[in-house]
Amino acid sequence: AAWFALPACESEEAVVGRSQSHGQAAEKRQTFRWLGFCFGDGGPLSAQTTSPGRAGRGAREAGGDSFGGHRAAQISAQELQAFREYGESWYRSRKGLESRFQPREPLARQPQVTAEARCKLVSWLIPVHRHFGLSLEALCLAVNILDRFLATTPVAADCFQLLGVTALLIACKQVEVHPPSVKELLALCCDVFTRQQLRNLECIVLHRLDFDLAAPTVSFFLEHFSQVRLEARGADAGEAADARSLAAGVAELSLADYAFTKYAPSLLAASSLGLADRLLRHRSPLDLRVSGYPEELLRDCMDQLQLLVSLNRRSLSLLLPSEVAQKCPWLGVDR
Amino acid sequence: MNKMKNFKRRFSLSVPRTETIEESLTEFTEQFNQLNNHRNEDLAQGQLQLAQLGRDAGGDGSPVSPPEGQGQSPVAAVRYRNHGQRRFSTEDVSKRLSLPMDIRLPPEFLQKLQMESLELPKPLSRMSRRASLSDIGFGKLETYIKLDKLGEGTYATVFKGRSKLTENLVALKEIRLEHEEGAPCTAIREVSLLKNLKHANIVTLHDIIHTERSLTLVFEYLDNDLKQYLENCGNLMSVHNVKIFMFQLLRGLAYCHSRKILHRDLKPQNLLINERGELKLADFGLARAKSVPTKTYSNEVVTLWYRPPDVLLGSTEYSTPIDMWGVGCIHYEMVTGRPMFPGSTVKEELHLIFRLLGTPTEDTWPGITSNEEFKAYNFPQYRAQPLINHAPRLDSEGVDLLTNLLLYRAKGRISAEAALQHPYFRSLGERLHLLPDNASIFSLKEIQLQKDPGHRGSAFQHSARGKNRRQSIF
Repeated sequence: AAWFALPACESEEAVVGRSQSHGQAAEKRQTFRWLGFCFGDGGPLSAQTTSPGRAGRGAREAGGDSFGGHRAAQISAQELQAFREYGESWYRSRKGLESRFQPREPLARQPQVTAEARCKLVSWLIPVHRHFGLSLEALCLAVNILDRFLATTPVAADCFQLLGVTALLIACKQVEVHPPSVKELLALCCDVFTRQQLRNLECIVLHRLDFDLAAPTVSFFLEHFSQVRLEARGADAGEAADARSLAAGVAELSLADYAFTKYAPSLLAASSLGLADRLLRHRSPLDLRVSGYPEELLRDCMDQLQLLVSLNRRSLSLLLPSEVAQKCPWLGVDR
Repeated sequence: MNKMKNFKRRFSLSVPRTETIEESLTEFTEQFNQLNNHRNEDLAQGQLQLAQLGRDAGGDGSPVSPPEGQGQSPVAAVRYRNHGQRRFSTEDVSKRLSLPMDIRLPPEFLQKLQMESLELPKPLSRMSRRASLSDIGFGKLETYIKLDKLGEGTYATVFKGRSKLTENLVALKEIRLEHEEGAPCTAIREVSLLKNLKHANIVTLHDIIHTERSLTLVFEYLDNDLKQYLENCGNLMSVHNVKIFMFQLLRGLAYCHSRKILHRDLKPQNLLINERGELKLADFGLARAKSVPTKTYSNEVVTLWYRPPDVLLGSTEYSTPIDMWGVGCIHYEMVTGRPMFPGSTVKEELHLIFRLLGTPTEDTWPGITSNEEFKAYNFPQYRAQPLINHAPRLDSEGVDLLTNLLLYRAKGRISAEAALQHPYFRSLGERLHLLPDNASIFSLKEIQLQKDPGHRGSAFQHSARGKNRRQSIF
């Protein structure tokens, strides 16, 4: 399999909006340009200037779905009660939908869009979704919409980025409290596309996918397996939270790599958690049998993920909350 | 212009290209317009060609060469009209096309099908299924006759209609797609959610029609909604009927909740009722908006009456308990004949809630004393009043259920699934719990509506319907 390393993205930090200093920002914008899309190119727009404070606010509000560093640790017995009532049936219903929503070789019939272009686009969508403080759920849905649309329709290279933001917009309209505005999304593409084009493409995508948008996501299964783990006897809430954060980072990376489109989201989630437990040397790791997958399949997926991680240590370190990154000396990043 | 060049360069990484981005984007727009003209036919056949964007406009011999190994055409028109004969029965067609159970295809139409000797091949692919659906009239606006307008809402207009295909009445919800922000969130959510819900207590989405600038959802038609029903019976419902309606409401909701789908906007106008007394949940569109607007686009007042206090105080923790509060309010309204907390502002709404159920404390609502919004309102300290004093017609089990629905602590509220097992419903018998999802509870002979003591004239009045009934489906 061909492996595409994600571009080493200093820029991600800039987009996430952690750094405030102007000099740094300028430098990072430039790195971003290297990513292939004119983020803050020339114009007044940059990650810092679009809407100050937006990222932070959004991140807090999207808390319900997002993977805050230590949310799992704070889940009380009462909250788990609500989960117990529906957890299994949610899992069964999502799992049952999985194969229907999994795109099959989305690039097989694409004349122009290559795996590399897809990697670039998704690697760009990752910092973009963080910039807006969107949930991992929204990102997963966006990538799912993108892939399923690609599986049905040949897309020209010059509107591939437009397709990316359109998919993100549709995903956000489904699951976010504050979807980004069309204007903000167009600005991120340096205004090379018009509002009308985006709206038209949105209609086409919705129609093409026949409004089948509620795909089961890696994010859902990560949440589910982590909850199951917390319910087990002698569960270590700290380990569960760390594994979930690291697994979320790994899963996020895997979205950008075309090779991983062949794995079902529940398999990716279980394998990411298994890998996270292994990398963090946890004493009470998740029992991967809850996923219902045979061991060989899990091992294969985990090995692939480990290879992906080893190729993208720097990027991964930027996707993790700092307290988790500190527990990963093998990232080799001094933070 | 530099930007453009950069952009073009960036996009030309893998594929040699000659035209400028402006050209191809213009083409895109043209394409789109063309596409719109033949939307229904073309899209079903897989001919949306964004790919032409990349093709040279003049066709002067510099076509984009696809990467190696891409010999075949990227678009294969779907073929479904193979040769061979096959006769159709109504049953056959409806089975193949998974139409609603009660569909009746007119005989002329079946004849037409046979004359054209249309053949549905054995494994019906999704695309060809859609194509064949479109052949018999699904997905086409001409299939439906518009009758009276039932109402107009923020983003949709609802008409009563009739399907030429089945002669059944339908509700046509026309959604305008032309907005600054593109397709409304509510429409996207409603369609994508409803498509996966098939249950006797959830309104059925029969068809979706794309037209150039709008989207029309075709729903089954129900005459009444709960608000109207209450008015028709002079706000005095039989307590037995209250129980039957509550059971159906909880049944539909438990089905949604077990699929991780929240309704978020339960209110009597969203509960549709037909002549049999079947109750169905409608209007699944509510977005996850944090701040609830008090007025809609068309200046209608958005009701706050059924919103839980945690949401009124700005909680964005959206989970199944947010729907359960509204179920409690509706239960109370059916029993007493008046809305429980008819506040017109957020502050008044909270005030009404606290006056009846007591101002929350750390005991009844952990964490409330540190909620900034709550502190800012500075409500007086009310003591909780016994619910039985306000709903004297409710038996003790009913009061217990109501109490468990109206808890401040969201996670403590009884779930829809658990509520179905509540002793309050014991008098309805055990068989209710064994029904398959798509079976109506009235398929059991022991389940029958009683005559409502307050109703005037016939049990189901068809007159006296205001223009604004069915605000529900907005």
